[in-house]
Amino acid sequence: MISSNQTETGTSTQDETAVDLPWNVIVHNDPINLMSYVTMVFQKVFGYPKEKAEAHMLEVHEKGRSIVWSGAREHAEHYVQTLHGYLLLATMERGQ
Amino acid sequence: MIFYQTPEGRLGFRDIPPVLAEILRQVPTCSDLEDEAVEARLFPPPTEDPLEEGARDDWKAYVQPELHDLFQTSRQTVDADLRGLKEEGDFFTVEFSSKHVPAWLNTLNQARLALAAQHNFDEGELSQPGPLQITNEKELALLQINFYAAVQQWLIETLEE
Repeated sequence: MISSNQTETGTSTQDETAVDLPWNVIVHNDPINLMSYVTMVFQKVFGYPKEKAEAHMLEVHEKGRSIVWSGAREHAEHYVQTLHGYLLLATMERGQ
Repeated sequence: MIFYQTPEGRLGFRDIPPVLAEILRQVPTCSDLEDEAVEARLFPPPTEDPLEEGARDDWKAYVQPELHDLFQTSRQTVDADLRGLKEEGDFFTVEFSSKHVPAWLNTLNQARLALAAQHNFDEGELSQPGPLQITNEKELALLQINFYAAVQQWLIETLEE
């Protein structure tokens, strides 16, 4: 299982990081959403390969949350909206 | 009940017993209700940051209506497909375009989340096998949640093929 540090999450392009402090997109555990569904959504939304999508899904399941993406606020908002469209419990928070 | 794909790529369920056909018919309406717990689960806030009250207000004003429309469109697609449920002897059959799979996944998920929120299921209750006999609404809701999960799982596997 991977840890939820920055090196394991997706990142934005270089020109964004200088201006905006990174925001993390977090997916929270939910006993209803199927593990296979959550994996499929991570693949579709972030373009992650199945192994990486499954690692994030397992982190959500076992630790209660996973940082699935970090980067500019505007993009984080877009991802949270997209994840809500798939009915995942997602939030964004300022990176530490 | 048997899941199948036609050579033309359409998907379907056949040999559906009447009770499951009725439960399937209810998919589009499960989440279409005014219930605070359901509303809270289907439309969560984008951030828990106490400094972001304005962002939550904007989200409610601009993003939630878009999500509401998205969910409604999915329900309408599934509802139209389910109007095609055909009685064949003692069982029912329904068939739909594979292009509707995202709408089905979304609507099944809405229904499962709404039922769980409405009946306040906890994780322990959800991990139980379905009841053998239905004696109250909560047991019926658990049966629906489990049945819709089985349909969702099959649709996901179909997408992966």
